[in-house]
Amino acid sequence: MRALVLLAATGLVLAAAAVPVHGADRGPAGEFMCQCGCGLTLANCTHLSCGPRDAALAEIARLEGQGRSRAEIRAAFIARYGEGVLAAPLRRGFNLLAYWGPYWAIASGALVIVALAAAWARRPKTMPAAAASELTAEQRERLERELQALED
Amino acid sequence: MGEVGTLAIGMAFVVSLYGLAAPLVGLGLRRHELVRSAVNAVYANALLLAVASTALLQALLARDFGNAYVASYSSRDLSFWYTVSAFWAGQAGSLLFWAALLAGFAAVVVWRHGHHRELMPYVVATLMATSAFFTGLLTFVSPPFARLAFAPADGSGLNPLLQNPGMFFHPPTQYLGYVGFTVPFAFAIGALATKRLDDEWIRATRRWTLASWFFLSWGIIFGMMWAYVELGWGGYWAWDPVENASLMPWLTATAFLHSVMIQEKRDMLKVWNLVLIVLTFALSIFGTFLTRSGVLSSVHSFALSSMGPLFFIFILLILGVSTILLVSRLPALRSAAELDSLISRESSFLFNNLILVGAAFSVFLGTVFPVLSEAVRGVKISVGPPFFNQVNVPIGLALLFIMGVCPLLAWRKASPRNLSRSFLLPGALGALCAVVLLALGISHPVALAAFALSVFVAAAILQDFHRGAMVRRSHGEPYALAAVRLVARNHRRYGGYVVHLGMILLFAGMAGGAFSTEREAVLTKGETVAIKQYTLRYEGASTYPTRSALVTAATLTVYNAGHQIGVMTPQRNIHKTHEDQPMTEVAIRSTWREDLYVILAGLGDDGTANVRVIINPLMMWMWVGSVVLTLGTIVAFWPERGEALRNRARYVVEGV
Repeated sequence: MRALVLLAATGLVLAAAAVPVHGADRGPAGEFMCQCGCGLTLANCTHLSCGPRDAALAEIARLEGQGRSRAEIRAAFIARYGEGVLAAPLRRGFNLLAYWGPYWAIASGALVIVALAAAWARRPKTMPAAAASELTAEQRERLERELQALED
Repeated sequence: MGEVGTLAIGMAFVVSLYGLAAPLVGLGLRRHELVRSAVNAVYANALLLAVASTALLQALLARDFGNAYVASYSSRDLSFWYTVSAFWAGQAGSLLFWAALLAGFAAVVVWRHGHHRELMPYVVATLMATSAFFTGLLTFVSPPFARLAFAPADGSGLNPLLQNPGMFFHPPTQYLGYVGFTVPFAFAIGALATKRLDDEWIRATRRWTLASWFFLSWGIIFGMMWAYVELGWGGYWAWDPVENASLMPWLTATAFLHSVMIQEKRDMLKVWNLVLIVLTFALSIFGTFLTRSGVLSSVHSFALSSMGPLFFIFILLILGVSTILLVSRLPALRSAAELDSLISRESSFLFNNLILVGAAFSVFLGTVFPVLSEAVRGVKISVGPPFFNQVNVPIGLALLFIMGVCPLLAWRKASPRNLSRSFLLPGALGALCAVVLLALGISHPVALAAFALSVFVAAAILQDFHRGAMVRRSHGEPYALAAVRLVARNHRRYGGYVVHLGMILLFAGMAGGAFSTEREAVLTKGETVAIKQYTLRYEGASTYPTRSALVTAATLTVYNAGHQIGVMTPQRNIHKTHEDQPMTEVAIRSTWREDLYVILAGLGDDGTANVRVIINPLMMWMWVGSVVLTLGTIVAFWPERGEALRNRARYVVEGV
């Protein structure tokens, strides 16, 4: 039962991965990589004057002015610059490995831990023969009490 | 001095090779004088690399532009401190810095840990093998004392991006972290080679690991601060490949710091701990590989060189040797104990490790995915911040949750009573936080989860601390004294708790990023731009020269809800040696609630100013969290009373 609860908790966390995560939405400019080589999105390119960024931002403004949707702008950019312009790869085909690989790995690891723990918990424990205690009853009682306090 | 430096590096390479071979040959031939001589080689290596470092520093400060490295990374107008920092600004200098740090650490290891007699030959051989690799690169591939055919009148100067106080703190702390992990790795190899697979190697290197983790943490934090104030895009983490490369060993090292406790307390996870330290060391080298190989494009990359394949081979060597040793010792690495229950502190540590290593894997996969995609599909793709945020935020939340659960569970097996007693209050407070935030209109799911979990974790930690203090108080101690003595009795545990509190503040600061807002405006003199409760009025621009740059500053008067609260002057600087690369100097006004961040994006010929204003909530929490993390590490690092005595007694017993 506990294993099921833990698995469910892990599943919930993994399910959270399916929920898109957005910080401050910077519009389409946050979706595309700047082509100047800065390694940042158009919204974050740090260059004061940047030809590729300014051209791309003008292109976005032009497409928005024509009433194009975000998906249409994305398609237009992919057609023009290739898939590499996207700051996050498309969620399809081989790219799914990048999106889901870590979660599969974590879920597999969680399953291994749960299975091992269940197997170990079922296995009878071989306890070494206890040595004759040299504690008095009063000492043993105090030890039990303090261990309990520590445990709590 | 250049010739002296070259000679010193060449000799250090030879001495490192000797330090690698002598202990192994000495053990094989049972010639103990050879083994002992390797220790002298370690000291000699440290001395030689100190001489080489001094020579490079002297060349930089003397403006010896006949030296190719000095001419490339410094100039006459560069201030003293930035000239010193040019030591690690370029490829050759940073390699020398790495080699010198490693040589110094190796000298401290043989000086302080000589009593681990059986481990030391292998420890020395591993440290010297690493040193031989770096000194070999300095000798044959990237010599820092190469001369130009003629000396220019002035150097090219330091890249303006690097002219920030961060340059003095970020690379050294980062390198201290990376290089420091060589020591626990070397002890792990020693333990595997000698079959001394108990927790001796872990005890011997506990402080090295903690110190390396601490420096790497600060390396990352300094990097974040630097990016925030210097790069001028309003953020602190761009998921650049090299930033990721620093995060990966940090994640595995954090997992290692936790899992070693299980080995020390329960004699479990021996293989796992060895795997973690090997991974941590290999990932530290991987970061250096990324900056020097040109495999992935990064703002941190050095000039392209032939070093990439050599680093790759070195990483393969590290993984290969470690794997062979590990596999051959598997029978001796069986745990003496097993998990008693899934609901126990041991299993929560396992889940903590799983999530940390999963996070490292996630970052690794995202970082190398463009290369993978090109190899498999032949399509070049980019993996930027939106992807990493999407994949890693849920993992981060899971980590935050497990951080709160860990201290609440009892060792071996948690009873239902233990669970209800421990979870009730923190769980209720976390839920209350979520309800209050929802009532206040905050509905961003990730931020809501992060804040609620932060409250849950903080409550769990404080509750555990309070209970410990109350137990002592029941023995007649005043509460304050009880609290102090509680920490004094177990620095490691309570230091760890303080580190967790620091991490909560860091998480909360990151969650604040979900609510950042920005506005961009072109202003003529006297015009204003409003963002949330702030109004900024443009008063005009001024241009003036400094020693190294032409500065153009816009003056903006800032009002908060109608009240003037100050003046901000974002700048745009043109450095003399890099005129084609104008730099922004942002203006930041910080409060505990939020940062007002202003960028001067451009100035028009008609006197207009293009400004970008960003409000970043809770940024200060991150920096305060970093300080709290430091305090916690200091507490955990501090030796406990009687610890030295216990260790001495252990060696006496083992010696007998």
